[in-house]
Amino acid sequence: MNATGAASPVIRTENLGRRFGDLWAIRGVDLELRGGEVFGLLGPNGAGKTTTVRVLSALIAPSEGRAWVDGFDVREQPDEVRRRIGILTETPGLYERLTARQNLEFFARLHGLDATTRAERIERFLRLFDLWDRRDDPAGTFSKGMKQKLAITRALLHEPSVVFLDEPTAALDPEAAFVVREAIASLRGAGRTIVLCTHNLDEAERLCDRIGFVRGALLRVDSPERLRNGSSGPTVRIELGAPATEDQLAALRATPGVVEILADGGSPDVLSVGLADLRRDAPAAVRTLVGAGADLLGLREEARSLEAVYFEVMGSRPQLEGPVG
Amino acid sequence: MRLAMLATIVRREALEIVRNRLLVASIVLPPVILVALPLVLGMFPGDTGKDPPPEYVAQILASRPDWASLTREHLIAAFLLQQFLAIFLMMPAYVPLSIATFSIVGEKQSRSLEAVLATPIRTAELLAGKSIAAVVPGVVTSWVAYGALIGLAGLLLGPELSGVLADGSWLAAVFLLGPAIGLVSCVAGIIVSSRVNDARVAQQIGGVVILPIVGIVMIQALGGYLLGPREYLIATVVVGAVGVAGIWLAARLFGRETILTRWR
Repeated sequence: MNATGAASPVIRTENLGRRFGDLWAIRGVDLELRGGEVFGLLGPNGAGKTTTVRVLSALIAPSEGRAWVDGFDVREQPDEVRRRIGILTETPGLYERLTARQNLEFFARLHGLDATTRAERIERFLRLFDLWDRRDDPAGTFSKGMKQKLAITRALLHEPSVVFLDEPTAALDPEAAFVVREAIASLRGAGRTIVLCTHNLDEAERLCDRIGFVRGALLRVDSPERLRNGSSGPTVRIELGAPATEDQLAALRATPGVVEILADGGSPDVLSVGLADLRRDAPAAVRTLVGAGADLLGLREEARSLEAVYFEVMGSRPQLEGPVG
Repeated sequence: MRLAMLATIVRREALEIVRNRLLVASIVLPPVILVALPLVLGMFPGDTGKDPPPEYVAQILASRPDWASLTREHLIAAFLLQQFLAIFLMMPAYVPLSIATFSIVGEKQSRSLEAVLATPIRTAELLAGKSIAAVVPGVVTSWVAYGALIGLAGLLLGPELSGVLADGSWLAAVFLLGPAIGLVSCVAGIIVSSRVNDARVAQQIGGVVILPIVGIVMIQALGGYLLGPREYLIATVVVGAVGVAGIWLAARLFGRETILTRWR
């Protein structure tokens, strides 16, 4: 339920865009996120992730289109939106001369929490993130990981319905990262919607219900599983005795059931082939290649990595110019 | 404007100020000197064996006919004390400048403003809270120092000279022009800090607000012309108008979008 009293998406955007001068940072974003969903925003630096989060947090206004958070329009009702969101910015952004408790107290007051609630939540979250014993130490004396945990605590203190987390586990040791991931899972369990900006594909795969690839626009949105499987369905990795010739590739493409051939095998004599149906179409693909004169060394079903999908969606895979060292 | 929000901002700023030793020292030490120095000069105005040139005395009395009843010695002491009035105005000038620049440059360096702006606070409340936290210590410090100066002058210099310190020009300068200067200084600190990333550089650039005060000191010391209550009231109106114009400009620089997308 939200401001309108209807069960509708917690975040909804329609043709959302934002430009700076003549340059569009993000454009044409149509998105719906439901309560309790963890949504990952993946993209290279400068792809528009932070801009998208800032627009959805009512920090900057959209240049075109509309967006609603918990039923409130980010342009028309920014105060209401900000009441309902928590944000972990790219850098912790703490007041380093103030103690952990004073940092949290300040933000709790800005969110209008009364004294009893403030005290209860500050203790609860500081204990959760193992910072209670350092509550009266200045934040400037904290390690990177502790600062990050304190900043996450700050984002959760007023129990927002939507939480934006920008690289939440960056700079954290494995133990602290585990605590943060557990906290994210727990927030999902509590019905909170989480938007997670990350470069960590493994983390996105483990935490997110859906992932959106961003590069100036929302290029593709789907669950990690469906993204890995691809739009073409199952993929097989075919190892050949020599690189496939143009004639062999043309014959393979013309084979019924072969949806796409990805030059993604990691070496010139390995093909990654998308099929409509594994059991029906894999034997036909093999027969075609052998019939066209290819030497087949092996075949196995391939679960594509999210990294492979990422580079496929982004349209390029960076190449190392030469050997290192 | 919600008072609870204002109070929250002011409270946090105050906590940061008291934890910044450099800032505290720059607020606390100068008033001690500015109180002690005029008292010492009032007590030992120099070689009193010689009378000042008559034309100089006439020039002083032309500016301040109410000093005609003072002895020559007290007249010299009163003239010296009056020089400190303009210097006293330095306090509401440099303290808000220091606090505002430390506050905003500090927020830029720690990138703490984005998290604040993502709360329901309005930027006007944030700007007002920061301004209050910057102006009030400077103005209050100058008032407390002025109170201490009057009290100690009564004890050490006698009623004639302490009366000089409590005349209309001092009252108008300390209680009216001082806060107006504090406002301009704070606004200058905010405007300059939005463009630079080093508090000391911001203070050096913002320090131009002190130049008119230095000008007053020079006019009084060299020309023997002493500004009276009327001149200080006029100065208050002019400086106040500059302050209001500055608030308009600072408010434009303090928009959410400007802070997030243009402050570097």
